[in-house]
Amino acid sequence: MTPVEKSDAEIVCLVDDDPAILKSLERLLVSHGFSVRSFNKPKSFLAHVQAHPVPLVVLDIWMEEMSGLEVQANLSALSPRTLVIVITGRKDSAAKLTALHLGVVAFFTKPFDGDQFLNAVRGALAMHPIQ
Amino acid sequence: MSERDRIGKGHHEKEEPFYAGQGRILEMIAASGPLADILTRIVLLMEAQADGLRCSILLLSNDGKHVRHGAAPNLPEAYVKAVDGLPIGPRVGSCGTSMYLRKPVVVTDVLTDPLWSDYRGLAKSCGLRACWSTPIISSHGDVLGSFAMYRHEPRGPNAEETRLTEAATRIASIAIERQQDHGMLREREARISLAAESADLAFWVLYPEQNTAWMSEKGRAMYGFTPDEPLTRESLVSRIHPDERAAVQTAFEQARASQQTFEMEHRIVLPYGKTRWVITRGRCLLDEYENVLEIICVTIDLSAQKQSDLQLQVQRDELARLSRIALMGEMTASLGHELNQPLAAIANNAAAARRFFDRGQIDPAILKQLLADIATASHRAGEVINGIRGMARKGKSTRSLLNLNAVIGDTLRLARSDILIRETAVVTDFDSRLPDVEVDPVQIQQVLLNLIMNALDAVEALPLAERRIIISTRSLRREIAEVSVRDFGSGLPKDRPEKVFDHFFSTKAEGTGMGLTIARSIVEAHAGMLGGEDAEGGGARFFFRLPAAQRLPVRQAA
Repeated sequence: MTPVEKSDAEIVCLVDDDPAILKSLERLLVSHGFSVRSFNKPKSFLAHVQAHPVPLVVLDIWMEEMSGLEVQANLSALSPRTLVIVITGRKDSAAKLTALHLGVVAFFTKPFDGDQFLNAVRGALAMHPIQ
Repeated sequence: MSERDRIGKGHHEKEEPFYAGQGRILEMIAASGPLADILTRIVLLMEAQADGLRCSILLLSNDGKHVRHGAAPNLPEAYVKAVDGLPIGPRVGSCGTSMYLRKPVVVTDVLTDPLWSDYRGLAKSCGLRACWSTPIISSHGDVLGSFAMYRHEPRGPNAEETRLTEAATRIASIAIERQQDHGMLREREARISLAAESADLAFWVLYPEQNTAWMSEKGRAMYGFTPDEPLTRESLVSRIHPDERAAVQTAFEQARASQQTFEMEHRIVLPYGKTRWVITRGRCLLDEYENVLEIICVTIDLSAQKQSDLQLQVQRDELARLSRIALMGEMTASLGHELNQPLAAIANNAAAARRFFDRGQIDPAILKQLLADIATASHRAGEVINGIRGMARKGKSTRSLLNLNAVIGDTLRLARSDILIRETAVVTDFDSRLPDVEVDPVQIQQVLLNLIMNALDAVEALPLAERRIIISTRSLRREIAEVSVRDFGSGLPKDRPEKVFDHFFSTKAEGTGMGLTIARSIVEAHAGMLGGEDAEGGGARFFFRLPAAQRLPVRQAA
């Protein structure tokens, strides 16, 4: 298998303010052949999304700077075609409901099963219209 | 020639035995002889001065209303018995009347005098015709009794009889008064010793000059001395716990030098090894040259009190622990989140590693980094669990020197997720010159968590933009460190602000209502105070103050 330069359209974005989570998710996705771009600040991701097409973002909910749900709400204006997978550190049915309402494709509570997560990522990328 | 000289000369042969007799009676008084004997001697001495003279001394009863037999060795027994217990009054013979009127009553003939109308038969049957009675008055002017002279013939007293009466009442007054003082003193001593025995007090007196000591019965039991063991300064010192011996001796010497009273709390060790906590208060009595005559001390056994203090401390710690556990229950978000984050990182890394192996592409450098990250994350999970265990642990509280700014930082990390989830802005404003405090970190963190969780609850209903709390510290004269947590909620209860500190007062459905009560007791156990007030501009401000830790002055390097 030869490394292929991926276009922006194939890059999965990760947003989590916990560096350990960010690094481990990045490794998990990379080990399965995905290209990843990580952001530990929601605002820098929002800046990025305005300049680059983002097919899929994996968003943490509870972050210092801005909640994942807020990021999601912003996305619907900035990049309505970006799909969202939400990961959260705690069971929170209200947050889950909001996320689903905002059009999230999957919702995971940490720690989660790696295979299920990867399936969700694959599924999301597959349903995304190729640009 | 004065009348006095004439009488003195005429009765010269009787002068020597009279003065000798008077001297003997005074000696008896000085030696605290029995009062009945002394009064009898007075009567006999007077009777010996004139032929056919009969005398009696009557006492006034304690209620001041009746006569009591004193001494009347030569009056008929029937008469003495009849008089004993009569009420005093304006017409009660000579004696009852003189005590009543507080002045001498001279009845020259009992058969005709109206004062004797009720007692004529009695007097007649005893062959008594004249009775002259004089009240015995104390140095304070109180009536103590009366002295009476009786004659078998109707007449008034001559000059000598008057003089004898004066002498008799004077001596009798001294004897009766002294006996009454003794009685009062004995009664007071008995009361003090009764109070002492029932209050677990030990009395002891040390005579430094003679190096002997006296100790009450209770004291000997308290100090473990046998009832007749001789006591010295050394034997007393030997009972003081070795750790406190020097301090007690210093306090003792200081009290002696400054002539002040001293008070020392210390332990005593009994011969069989048991220790007791006691408090000793003492005073030095000095002579006119300022030498210590005696050191008078009272020792109180504090063991029972210490024991209950200790039990109270254990109960307070346990209550604080249970409240911490309840608090942890309220902080489910933080605890779950804090633990789930590293666990998720571990799981992701492990899944990635497995995938790398499956694909047969293993970059050793990446693997090494991945394993290091797993170790870090598991360490972090361990820290979280240790934190929970620390908050829930049982046992003695331990204090360490801490800066409250750092403790607040740690606490905010612990509550991070709760703060995130409640979408509340936490603003901190720290005084960088805050003095260190010596505290139990777990307990102070509990207090902070309590105040922070309460503040988060207080702002919960506010719109997102207004949802904030301010945590600030400041130093008061570098002696006190103050922490305040201010919210922008609805403030303290309007009817009675202080009720937020009541037991079981809660505005929360799941609250125990013990949080602030326990927070306050924790701060108070650290010699501090915790209060709450309505903040200027709305909301409430809760604050606590702790004394700065005592530090030895640090010498500046040159």
